[in-house]
Amino acid sequence: MRYLILALAMLFALPSTGTAGYREDFEKEFMTKTWAGEQVEENLCISCHASDKMKPEFKETVDAWKESWHAQNNISCENCHGGDPKDAEFAMSPQHGFVGVPQYKDVPEFCGKCHIGILSHFLESGHGKALKASRKAPNCVTCHGSHNIQKASIDIINEQQCTKCHSYERAKIMKVALFLIEKRIAQLEQNLQTLKQEGIYPEADEKSLFSTQAEFRTLFHTVDVNLIRSRTDEFTSKLDVIDRDIQATYRDLRFRKNFSAFLMLAFSGMGVIIFLLSTTKRD
Amino acid sequence: MWKKMKTWLDVRIGLNDFVRTKIVDYRIPKNINIFYTLGFLAVIAYAVQAFTGIVLLIYYIPHPDHAFKSVQDIMAKVPYGWLFRQMHVVGSNLMITVAILHMITVFLMGNYKRPRELTWLGGGISLLLTIIFGFSGYLLPWTQLSYWATTVVTSMPTAFPVIGDSIALILRGGDQVTEVTLSRFFALHVAILPPIFLTFMGIHLLLINRIGISATPFGMVDEEKRPLTEYKRKTHPDGYPYYPVFFQKQMYMMMAYFAVMFFIVTFLPNLFFPEEANLPADPFKTPPHIRPAWYLLAPYQLLKLIPNKFFGITIQMILLTIFLAWPFLDTYQEKNVLKRPILRGVFIFLLVMWVVLLFWGRNP
Amino acid sequence: MKRRRFLKIILAFLGSITLFSFVNSFLKFLAALPARTAEINKLIIHKNEIPSGEAKNIIYRNAPAVIINRSDRGFIALSRVCTHFGCLVEYNRAERRLICPCHAGNFDLEGNVLSGPPPKPLRAIPLRIDGENIILG
Repeated sequence: MRYLILALAMLFALPSTGTAGYREDFEKEFMTKTWAGEQVEENLCISCHASDKMKPEFKETVDAWKESWHAQNNISCENCHGGDPKDAEFAMSPQHGFVGVPQYKDVPEFCGKCHIGILSHFLESGHGKALKASRKAPNCVTCHGSHNIQKASIDIINEQQCTKCHSYERAKIMKVALFLIEKRIAQLEQNLQTLKQEGIYPEADEKSLFSTQAEFRTLFHTVDVNLIRSRTDEFTSKLDVIDRDIQATYRDLRFRKNFSAFLMLAFSGMGVIIFLLSTTKRD
Repeated sequence: MWKKMKTWLDVRIGLNDFVRTKIVDYRIPKNINIFYTLGFLAVIAYAVQAFTGIVLLIYYIPHPDHAFKSVQDIMAKVPYGWLFRQMHVVGSNLMITVAILHMITVFLMGNYKRPRELTWLGGGISLLLTIIFGFSGYLLPWTQLSYWATTVVTSMPTAFPVIGDSIALILRGGDQVTEVTLSRFFALHVAILPPIFLTFMGIHLLLINRIGISATPFGMVDEEKRPLTEYKRKTHPDGYPYYPVFFQKQMYMMMAYFAVMFFIVTFLPNLFFPEEANLPADPFKTPPHIRPAWYLLAPYQLLKLIPNKFFGITIQMILLTIFLAWPFLDTYQEKNVLKRPILRGVFIFLLVMWVVLLFWGRNP
Repeated sequence: MKRRRFLKIILAFLGSITLFSFVNSFLKFLAALPARTAEINKLIIHKNEIPSGEAKNIIYRNAPAVIINRSDRGFIALSRVCTHFGCLVEYNRAERRLICPCHAGNFDLEGNVLSGPPPKPLRAIPLRIDGENIILG
């Protein structure tokens, strides 16, 4: 018997030494397959611009982009600047759509390649008209930044920003007009998040909320307070519909809790009664 | 009226005789304790799973394009769909827990010893089948959690030296988790495993019936010391009648099982639903913390710890074999675990290690 | 013995209400009555309201939709909810496509994705022509 065990142990030890990998090797194979972790395909724009050989400003650009909301949604360099991110020869080739850094005046069209609704409203606005007439005016980057772009919030409208060109009075009025709806949207977003944690995935309501919010914010870019005020009711009623849905879902969740609590009590009660009814061994 | 029905049945199937021999005259040992009900609970747990599973089958659609939505519809739109789904999810975890507890108590009471080795083997295989049930069912809702946990678990077999990659390939039906994987896991979970499981559970119960209920060593002279060279069904002529004594115990433990289940459903409805469990599967976006379900965390962590893949998987296979074959290895006649400090110590150590690995595996 | 009898009665009572709630839940589960009233699901538009090449925005089952009179292939009804984040797509007559103002998702007049971030085609709404009427649902 003991010889058998010894033989088995040696048999076992042999392949162990053969494939004695090191921890990094193991981790690399097991833990970082292509499916696990980032499916990072070689983006040449980033590999060059983030390298140490480049000017420090370029590296900062890449870092700034990495923090952005665009980066989180897999929008990278070529989506705005064009070019071919996979082929070094064409990475910055105008034939492959490379645009480079847009002129100050052309920034709205640059961003408006995707954000078309906002572009059209912006061009109608006082800001947009001033920009196209080459007067002192903001473009997208003025308020939103260029690479470290975060999710828009009402705080982009603030005294420091808006007084660069004119008094804060007008901006304040606009902010007030937007405030209540923005607050309500934020609250509904919060509610939907809570519902998701409770196991309900409110897809239709999420989409409706996003759509309402997007339309509302797109409208803002006209910087026309009267327009916004006149359409506030319309937005409010859309939000009301979503709110009603959410409240109905909360009611449903409360019912579920009560129902399962009732079942729990019923079963515990029956357990207790059976226990009381049971004949002890002494009977 | 009641009496008439009973007499009618008695004439045809011998009802009175059946009740008398199988239920009333069936004697159980005097020192039977509550842990003896755990096996029955596991059977009840399986019945609950089977019933709620079939109920869910009515609305579930096993294709990646529709699986998530169908489960969401069950939770949100179908009346009381949430109830059956919650019962199924909570029940699966409870069933594995009950099976593990049952195994631990049988071990500690020494009830795997001769002549009950095969019973232990059948039970061990049933536990493994239960875990496969859990792991195959995990994928079906097609959420981020399902998809990525399955990806990780189906990569664990690659640690096997030559056949590892092939095993993973067959499990997944490809290099990645796709609709092919979903189909085969669905078939496994719904059609292949149930008859296999029922067979092994049936064998397990049959053996218990043939051999007889064992007497625990506590508080009683160990009768099993005799050499046992021939078959003899273990009876307890001076024991208690199965009905009502043990039957009542089983009943209130069953009530306790359901009470625990509904406690979790009421107060901890998200216990088994972290955030990723409510998002549809996205093959391009790995959530920050992927890991398998709790019952697979210890093997997973062990594989991660041991730098040599072959070594890692072999240790697990050896441990598994020892676990299944334990009654054949431990032929020491003493059943009372209190009189076997080394065994007790080693067992408790291994159990603690398992728990430690489990918690360790939770934090990547 | 009265205590035991009392306990047994309570047990029977609890047992039956538990059983009843499960049976009730199960039956409701099986019945799962679909969204009620066929009238809300139906929408009737007169063909003349939509000239060739034009489209009409409508609300169908509480969600925005559009009926397009395509010059080559007749009428089609599509959901206006973009499959990306849910903004409402607009019919662009000149380019013969549906464009989402939020992130420039482009759909053709069958609802298929032409470009942009949307992951899935627009949901089609069953439509049939009955004489002079377009009937949805």
